[in-house]
Amino acid sequence: MSYATAESVSMTTAGVDPVLELDGVGHWFGRNRVLRGIDLHIARGQIVALVGPSGCGKSTLLRAILGTDPPKAGQVRMNGVAVDRPGRDRGIVYQRYGLYPFMTARENVAFGLMLDQTSLPQRLLRFYPWSRQRKRHLELADAWLRDVGLSAAADRYPHELSGGMRQRVAFAAAKVMKPELLLLDEPFGALDEATREDLQQMLLTRYAENVAAVAGGQPAPHTILIVTHELNEAIFVADRVVGLSQYWNWRESGYDDCPGATIVYDQPAPVFTPGSERPTDAFFKQRSEIRRVVFDTTARTNPADYVSFWPHWAGQATPPTFGGSVLGAASAAQRGSGVDDE
Amino acid sequence: MICRPVEWRTRLALGVLSVVLLGFGYTWLAQRQHANNPDDRTIPTWSQLGEGVMKTVRPHPISGEVWLASDAAATFGRLGLGLLAGVVLGVTLGLGMGCFGPIEALCLPTVAAIAKVPPTAMLAVFFVLVGTQTEFYVAMIAFGVTPILAQTLYRAARDDVPDELLQKAATLGASTFELVWNVVFKQVLPRLIEVVRLQIGPAMVFLIAAEYAAADQGFGYRLRIEARKVNFDVVYFYLALLAASGFLFDFALTSLRRWWCPWFEK
Repeated sequence: MSYATAESVSMTTAGVDPVLELDGVGHWFGRNRVLRGIDLHIARGQIVALVGPSGCGKSTLLRAILGTDPPKAGQVRMNGVAVDRPGRDRGIVYQRYGLYPFMTARENVAFGLMLDQTSLPQRLLRFYPWSRQRKRHLELADAWLRDVGLSAAADRYPHELSGGMRQRVAFAAAKVMKPELLLLDEPFGALDEATREDLQQMLLTRYAENVAAVAGGQPAPHTILIVTHELNEAIFVADRVVGLSQYWNWRESGYDDCPGATIVYDQPAPVFTPGSERPTDAFFKQRSEIRRVVFDTTARTNPADYVSFWPHWAGQATPPTFGGSVLGAASAAQRGSGVDDE
Repeated sequence: MICRPVEWRTRLALGVLSVVLLGFGYTWLAQRQHANNPDDRTIPTWSQLGEGVMKTVRPHPISGEVWLASDAAATFGRLGLGLLAGVVLGVTLGLGMGCFGPIEALCLPTVAAIAKVPPTAMLAVFFVLVGTQTEFYVAMIAFGVTPILAQTLYRAARDDVPDELLQKAATLGASTFELVWNVVFKQVLPRLIEVVRLQIGPAMVFLIAAEYAAADQGFGYRLRIEARKVNFDVVYFYLALLAASGFLFDFALTSLRRWWCPWFEK
């Protein structure tokens, strides 16, 4: 096992490969101000956990990134291109799985390939080429189901699968499209503890794949933004925790009412290797800090005090506190050396 | 007793018992009626019913027409065409209203108003507008079933398809038409089959009423003519056939739903 504790160092985002950039994002519904001044940059290969109190606008922010409900202020960019609608560069997995009940597990995974690579007229009018393509899609779906340990359940409908199995299918269905950014909306919220831990390990495996890819000079294959209300989970599976909250010091900025939730916490999280037990006590300090800064209804946090992920990172010649992290691997690769597990 | 499940053997025995009781009741009623009036034809005996059946399956001595064949072809042909027209219109309107706001705003008030008009009250209007040919019966059935189908599918498209599924399909690159066809339609298909199954009864009512009023062939026409001649041996046989066809349609559509939508049988 290797993990590191968060430390604040002054830096910027220069020198990393940003996949998602949110600049000054704001959103409101009528007079109800939901989000204000959201600045968030996510680098390729990061697994970022987004936490926040109920009603703080996490889902609104997710929809803005997804493109189904673009922000009313500011801009969302994917790889530098402004987002104004859903696109295949962003995949999503929902808490309630988001599987099509009328398709088997295999068909669910192959559905995205069908939509992406063919059109309805092609499927109707060019039957033989389509049937050959369909066979390839289903084979690819089988491979992804094997990857998440579900080959035996390929022909089952979602209602015939357990919660954990459904979430694995949803994960495979999202990943088969190789999205630049995978959005997970409280993906383990409806699962029992054992299944939840099992799937958390799956995320750690993805992160380890990122680290290995970057150390080998390849781009990290998985960039993930996970929305969760479980703080232990956020710290365990992510390499960075972002807190969104409406309890910030907006009165000091001259507002009479809350102008919307904003990011009040952005700090690195310890990085675990797959198979690690969750040392809950080890991140007790960070959990307490997040609870106090993000969730406490009496908190009047100054965002500048705890939003220091990029300042922490940029310009750092060596990443001593990020032994197994993807950014650490990137930095080490740039220096022409490997990354040692601590 | 309440909420206690009945064992299948008991259920079967009770079902058979109800049919046997009905048969005994009818036999007793017919014998009693014939004891009072040996020429009675309103409650025919079993042998008279047998003669009535033969009358419908043998060629008519003068016209050579086999009543059952010509009536069944006319009635079920009209029913099939009417239901087809109703389903096509109902699905188009229902999905249109459920998926697209402007179509909903345009059509929903009209569809809701039309749904309140009893189709049998429209007999005279259709009689004048389309005459008494096949179009008349198709219009009657379509007028009766389309608003119900459209409203049911409209609600299903809005309520039964979670936004998540549509958003996810959009991120996978689905076009608007693919969203409607590959997600919404597939999701509401079992409900469509179910509502068609439930609308067969009302459709038969509209059709029989229309045939009763204006046809020269078909079950409604034969019921009217034979009832007027007090030939209840034929009337009861036709009623039994209508009931049997209802069961058959019910079974066929339930089987179709199981076959096309196995996921719905959870």
